[in-house]
Amino acid sequence: MNPKKLLALTKAGIMESLQFRLGTFVTLFANLIYLVLVYYLWKAIYASAGTDRVGGMTFTDTMIYLILATALFNFLEMFVVWDMSRSIQSGKIILDLLKPMRFRTYTFWSYSGSHVVSFLLTFIPTFIVVMIVTKGAIHMGLNLLWFALATIFALIINFNIEMLVATVCLYTESTWGINIVKETIVLLLSGASIPVAFFPETFRRIVEYLPFRAIYDIPLRILLEKSGTDTLQGLLPLYSLQLVWILLLIIAGNLFWNSSVKKITVNGG
Amino acid sequence: MGNEALVMENVCKDFKVLNRHEGLKGSIRDLFSRDYKTVSAVKDVSLTVEKGEIIGYLGPNGAGKSTTIKMMTGVLEPTSGKILVNGNVPYENRTENCENIGVVFGQRSQLWWSLPLVESFKLLRDLYMVPQKEYEQMLELYRSLVDIDPILNKPVRQMSLGQRTLSDILAAFLHNPAIVFLDEPTIGLDVSMKDKIRCLIRGLNQEKNTTVILTTHDMGDVDALCRRIVIIDKGQKIYDNDIDHLKNYFGSYRTLKLRLSDDTWEEMLIDESKTDVMDVIMKKQKEQKIKDIRLEEITTEEVIKKIYEGEAV
Amino acid sequence: MEQKKRGFRFYADIYKKILIQDLKSKMSYRADFIISTFGMIMTNLAGFVTFLILFKNFPSINGWDYYHMLFLYGFSLVALTPVQCFFDNNWNLRFMVQSGDFIKYCFRPVNVFFYFMSEVFDVKGLGQLAFGVGTLCYAWYHIGIPVTVLTILKLILFLITASLFMIAIMNAAAATCFWITGSGYVMVIMFRFKDFAKYPASIFSGIFRVVFTFIIPIAFVAYYPSLVLLEPANVPLLSWLSPLIGLLFFYLSYKFWMLGVKKYDFTGS
Repeated sequence: MNPKKLLALTKAGIMESLQFRLGTFVTLFANLIYLVLVYYLWKAIYASAGTDRVGGMTFTDTMIYLILATALFNFLEMFVVWDMSRSIQSGKIILDLLKPMRFRTYTFWSYSGSHVVSFLLTFIPTFIVVMIVTKGAIHMGLNLLWFALATIFALIINFNIEMLVATVCLYTESTWGINIVKETIVLLLSGASIPVAFFPETFRRIVEYLPFRAIYDIPLRILLEKSGTDTLQGLLPLYSLQLVWILLLIIAGNLFWNSSVKKITVNGG
Repeated sequence: MGNEALVMENVCKDFKVLNRHEGLKGSIRDLFSRDYKTVSAVKDVSLTVEKGEIIGYLGPNGAGKSTTIKMMTGVLEPTSGKILVNGNVPYENRTENCENIGVVFGQRSQLWWSLPLVESFKLLRDLYMVPQKEYEQMLELYRSLVDIDPILNKPVRQMSLGQRTLSDILAAFLHNPAIVFLDEPTIGLDVSMKDKIRCLIRGLNQEKNTTVILTTHDMGDVDALCRRIVIIDKGQKIYDNDIDHLKNYFGSYRTLKLRLSDDTWEEMLIDESKTDVMDVIMKKQKEQKIKDIRLEEITTEEVIKKIYEGEAV
Repeated sequence: MEQKKRGFRFYADIYKKILIQDLKSKMSYRADFIISTFGMIMTNLAGFVTFLILFKNFPSINGWDYYHMLFLYGFSLVALTPVQCFFDNNWNLRFMVQSGDFIKYCFRPVNVFFYFMSEVFDVKGLGQLAFGVGTLCYAWYHIGIPVTVLTILKLILFLITASLFMIAIMNAAAATCFWITGSGYVMVIMFRFKDFAKYPASIFSGIFRVVFTFIIPIAFVAYYPSLVLLEPANVPLLSWLSPLIGLLFFYLSYKFWMLGVKKYDFTGS
């Protein structure tokens, strides 16, 4: 695949998302309000607990974890499922399928531009605010680099989950239902609504092997240097888990998509 | 109230739009830019429409047709000027205005997507508070004009484009409005469906004396329905008179059609006051064999094209 | 031409008729109904699991024990039902505004807001209602609030009050799309803010107490109205005033929504 072509898609995406200029500021503003909510809630929760450390997490850890999880959520949010169902219902999908590029590749790179914009305009500012508010609780070292790497893997995993779920839209018009099931599972099991560290023991053991955790929990754990991620020995298993899931999801997604598209085109849907 | 269904006086409509810049750098600059410009979509348009008239409201894409219709229907407020629809100021009394108008807007169905047509009709009957007797009479009239029974129990989402347009037009007339606005009602339809729809519009106009304001790019619609046309371009009214008058103006024009040796027809428009038709044919014949010749009146399509291209009237 | 009067009875009658038609046509999408109901149950379960995990780690929050928190949780779920059932079309607003399809709501001789909202009745909201009522009853029983005509009447009145606030928040969030392209995230984040409604507003202090009470009124979605039942001896003035404030918020959000319709220039086509 010609990388120039792919970058052209990224650039088009960047320009398109910049059109929504007010939308960008609103997102950032909403994130800051969310930050306040999380701050007060967890401050109260920790104040009632009587200890500084619950499940190995301090108040500051939890706060950074949850706010950055939300910022990551905005950054990773793709609406692939909605876009897909709309383009199926309007018939636009036929045009996309005719593009001289594999559909999955095309979709991924079309979204990449909006990722770049939301990373620069919402994630980075949120990150800086969190850094200032928590007064250096985030260690400024190699962990930032490892975090960035893990986030890129997370993005790929998230995209593949989205595509897998979006493929279901070829079979049913129930977009809301499909999307809410996906979102619920991802948000709960990835640690975006409550840190995985707080899960009960057995539940946590299972969740730790699922792909959802690889989206939010792994990058954030690496950033906070939890569970030995400040050493290479600690990092490797997490990266391996991410990579294994990327591989599995790509294979599964491709198989599912190809067989579904074939079925749909045969039926003339 | 006089005999006017619609009066527009010196109506203008401006929009404020952001000056967008090109390229990636431009996009980033736009993020913070306050650089707005004012675009005049409609400039000083005055218009009077009598009751029962069918007006062809024409103009090239982006001329301001839709904006005018939106102002007439009360959706947009004019920047300046006055509009009266059935004696009502549409944007001030939107609800009252809606009572007396019907609208079919492009290919956007206004019916309930998943309901059978007849259920949509019943809901509209209740929304417009149409007495049952009048509703039934209207359905009878519809039956006499088109074959509605096959589509009456079909959900709108399962209809073909033609059936959907037909349904939308019927729905727009259901509460017997004084004016109906039809925005490109025959777009994308096949020849026989177009004909059906034109017959229906003419029939309803005659039976109910409904004023119809029709925007279209299809001169077939104009030929079949309108006596008077109004043309706007770049927001300004450039023509407002009978079609016949136009054709007289371009009376010296003829369409010359030549069948060439390879059986294709070549068409050309000739102004007889300047060029002699025989000369053209002779000249052509020297180049290649001509199998057949036809000489016709100028078509409406060509007249309109001439006006769009800037030939003064 | 004589003026036709459209009063409350007209609107109630029309709503009923549209509702019946809507339900009839929903029957033709059985699969969609099942999938969305499943999704609804999933989100509620996930919310409940999050709640349980939280209380497994922390015994109380700001002096509120498990059953009192459960009461707030159930209360907020019930209060969210009307917005889910009757105002769900807000979620479609931005797509219709963007594509220009919204214009069709402006051609009818009825209130645009009413006509727009009447188009969708969301049945799956009833599943949430059942979930909320169950939780509420369970907590009610354990706290030992007396069951009298008065407490039941209070409960109903203040549940309606609470729901007005949520409706107002979502109306206002949806209406932003008339001014801001790409404002979809405002709705998403507001919908996530509601998750904080189930915590006692006493956790906020200072300026943010004011913000979350009077600007983004999540403190009214459960906390203030439910104090009437939970602390009958010590009801704050704001709790008693909440029905009036709720009406005011609803009215303001409605005006804001209608202002959007008026300002919007329908350039979609």
